Amino acid sequence: MKIVAVTACPTGIAHTYMAAARLEKVAKTLGFEIKVETQGAMGIENKLTENDIRQAQFAIFAVDIAVEERERFNGVKVIQVPLQEALKDPHSIFAKIQP
Amino acid sequence: MTQRASTSLEFAFVCSLSDGLHARPASHLAEVANDFASDSFLTNLRTGSVASLKSVLAIISADVRQGDRCTVQVRGTDEHAAHAALLRFIEQVLPGCDVPLAGISLISANGTLPRTLLAAEVKCCFGSPVSPGVGQGKVVLLNGMTLPRTLRERVVTDIAAELGHVKRAVAAVRARIREKLTHPRSSPETAILQADLAIAGDVSFAQKLMEHVSQGKSAGQAVVEAGEFFIDLLRHSDSEYIRERALDVEEICLHLLEEIYGVDFQAAAIELREPSVVVAETLAPQQLLGLDRRWLQTLVLEYSGATSHAVILARSLGIPTLVGVRNARLVLTPGQEVVVDAIRGFVVTQVSPAVQRFYERERSTLLRRQQFLPLQTTGPAVTSDGKTMEVAANASSYEELSRAFENGADGIGLFRTEALFLERDHAPSEEEQFALYSAAARAAAGRPVIIRTFDLGGDKTAPYLNLPAEDNPFLGYRGVRIYAEHRELLQAQLRAILRASAVGKVQIMVPMISSLEEVLQFKTEISEAKQDLERKGIAFQPDVKIGIMIEVPSAGFILDQLCTEVDFFSLGTNDLNQYFLAADRDSPRIAELSDVLHRGFLRFLRQIVREIQQAGKWVGMCGEMAAEIRNLPLLIGLGLDEISLPAVGIPAVKRAISQLSAADCERVLADLIACREKTDREDILEKSQPSWAAQPLLSKELVLLGSESKNKEEAMQEIVDAFYIAGRTLDRQRLEDALWSREAVYSTGLGYGFAAPHCKTEAVTADSIGVLKLRQPIDWGSVDSEPVNMIFLIAMREPQLANRHMQVFSRLARKLMNEEFRGHLLALENAHDMATFLAQQLEISLH
Repeated sequence: MKIVAVTACPTGIAHTYMAAARLEKVAKTLGFEIKVETQGAMGIENKLTENDIRQAQFAIFAVDIAVEERERFNGVKVIQVPLQEALKDPHSIFAKIQP
Repeated sequence: MTQRASTSLEFAFVCSLSDGLHARPASHLAEVANDFASDSFLTNLRTGSVASLKSVLAIISADVRQGDRCTVQVRGTDEHAAHAALLRFIEQVLPGCDVPLAGISLISANGTLPRTLLAAEVKCCFGSPVSPGVGQGKVVLLNGMTLPRTLRERVVTDIAAELGHVKRAVAAVRARIREKLTHPRSSPETAILQADLAIAGDVSFAQKLMEHVSQGKSAGQAVVEAGEFFIDLLRHSDSEYIRERALDVEEICLHLLEEIYGVDFQAAAIELREPSVVVAETLAPQQLLGLDRRWLQTLVLEYSGATSHAVILARSLGIPTLVGVRNARLVLTPGQEVVVDAIRGFVVTQVSPAVQRFYERERSTLLRRQQFLPLQTTGPAVTSDGKTMEVAANASSYEELSRAFENGADGIGLFRTEALFLERDHAPSEEEQFALYSAAARAAAGRPVIIRTFDLGGDKTAPYLNLPAEDNPFLGYRGVRIYAEHRELLQAQLRAILRASAVGKVQIMVPMISSLEEVLQFKTEISEAKQDLERKGIAFQPDVKIGIMIEVPSAGFILDQLCTEVDFFSLGTNDLNQYFLAADRDSPRIAELSDVLHRGFLRFLRQIVREIQQAGKWVGMCGEMAAEIRNLPLLIGLGLDEISLPAVGIPAVKRAISQLSAADCERVLADLIACREKTDREDILEKSQPSWAAQPLLSKELVLLGSESKNKEEAMQEIVDAFYIAGRTLDRQRLEDALWSREAVYSTGLGYGFAAPHCKTEAVTADSIGVLKLRQPIDWGSVDSEPVNMIFLIAMREPQLANRHMQVFSRLARKLMNEEFRGHLLALENAHDMATFLAQQLEISLH
């Protein structure tokens, strides 16, 4: 299964990237294919393309602030959690995904 | 004294006044009681204290509060009339004769504490630090009432004469207060004067005075002892208000002493016998010099001025000093052990073990900072191809100046003097100015200090100057243009600067020059000031350097003449740019026009610098343009001898200079001047930036292993202190606040025993990473609730480098999620290995 994700935290210096790294790692162990976009102090990185989003069954938003360019995800099933969830218990986020 | 009646008349009442029977109602009550021959006494049933109703001080001392039950007893020849009058007064007049007092707060709420102290719940009071440092000792109150030994030990031969002195003094002081009362005043002021009048004429006070004199004391000594008796009584009250009255008694006693000994009465120096914190309302320089410096740790003053003589003197003697500490003489008790933090601005009034621990660490931090400084910032800034540029600081106070030198300034390129003239109703004296300028010259220790004569007018005005209101003040009566009208002011300032030139390398600079005539006139003024000093035999440097600000474009076109008249020039780019482009820099709609990168402006600057240097004269820049590190390639390209900027930017600028080549910079300037498109100019400038303008992100000073910190507050403080020692921050409080406000969103404890506190703040001099490894794990409120062993602190500023550094930060953040990386970090045991490992992993340089 393909998943896309966005991470974003208030200062965009540290947690955005920690959460991204964590989601990538856990997804891999669970056998999901994932692409994580970071919205931090460097702006949007590893940006999700229209194609990425269209192919994904789920979008995970691990964010503490509003997602930029939210309209890209219209029509996609979104699981939104506070960013800390991605650090605290990433497995529970993936558990919400019903194939 | 009246005949004593066998019985007395008595009545009871409950005090309804919200602030109790304080000085003002008490003085009314005493007034009524004093109308009768009978004695009347008040008993406070809560405390059992008994007071004569004829004495304001006695009534106040009885500490009658709202709700207290009291009885009044009246005895004497006219006791019926007195009883009736007092009863009527207490029942009918007293409840209405008080206006609620404005809240008197003994501990002012402004100011913040470091987290570690906040967490330890320390008690403290705040003030403004004016001479930095930390000191601990016993409180000694300097009440100004101690008589000099000669007066104290005077033998009294004529008791009647001393009695006469006392009575005359009391009468004179009361007459003075009455005289003040005849002038119209606000009602609280009047009420206070009336209370003072009552204290000065108080029967108990008079009784005490007489007692002392009849025991053979001199009039002065009697005043001191009677005063101390009542001050002590009032000071021990539970009520803040009553404790405050102790100051009124002191005030009255000082007036009495002045009456007895003449207005020049000077209190004796206090003898210090142990490490002491001297607390006073204000202090005369002689009083300060009279204190034994071996024991004097710090000064705490209630007076809030930062430019008083005593303060300037305290600074030059290096005595940590706090001013503006409200009610310090009441909050602090003689003999009490306190710590005065004249870096952050507070007095800790309870020295607990946590406080001791905090200041032990602080002492070691300050010491290490002193040792590290010379390594970091001294020495001239030289470009990679060998051209030197002085990096000086702008300052407008002694604090800024000393901070600048602490930060590695090569001199003071602009010392503004306006602050001395503003927000006061009379001009500063020559002496006051001399004290400041000479202290500045001394602190500079041989480095140049360019003092600019007052630049008033425009938006900076003072009532005593009587400046006219103008439609266009920036093109109006300001700077050098007002000197002809204010010659005395100018002469006093020039004399003060000249005198300071005998102390250090002081130079004089004049603002707003637009013509040769103005320069010639200014030089005439300097000659006159010199002659004046010569006549008086006062020392100064005869060939003190004279320079002008280039702010008015016309000055840039008469440099051939100006160069023959002055020694140096400084480009004031803020005004020069707005006059050159006819664009008000404060008008938001034309903000785009205020552009120091304008081709015409850059060409103008290049022409000015060339012409001045061809004439063999010196030219610097002190405007905003020099403060922006992004402009550095241009400034080097211009070939300026010096740039002067706010102190905080100096380390980064010095470092950046060493990574730029003057030849490249000249080309950058030429390219910019040739360039047509504004966006292309931005590109050229961006490309010309040094690869690492700031300090490296990580250095081994920022890697702390084996930390003994016991909690989150201490650990955070320890890294922030390391930043301070390494010159990465000048404002620890601000950096800590930024970190804690991020922490307030949610804890940065990321699990696995790691935490990564971070912030974006101008409080750091460069983007930085700090590392702290703890001996004992501490709680950080982490996501996995596990304690933390290792902390990475990430602090960033400098937006133009953000992307480059952000890549490193994000790399670090991602790696911290990697178990192998964490394991490796935990295994490393020394700072050098840790720094090297991190540099390699994060792909950064340590140099």
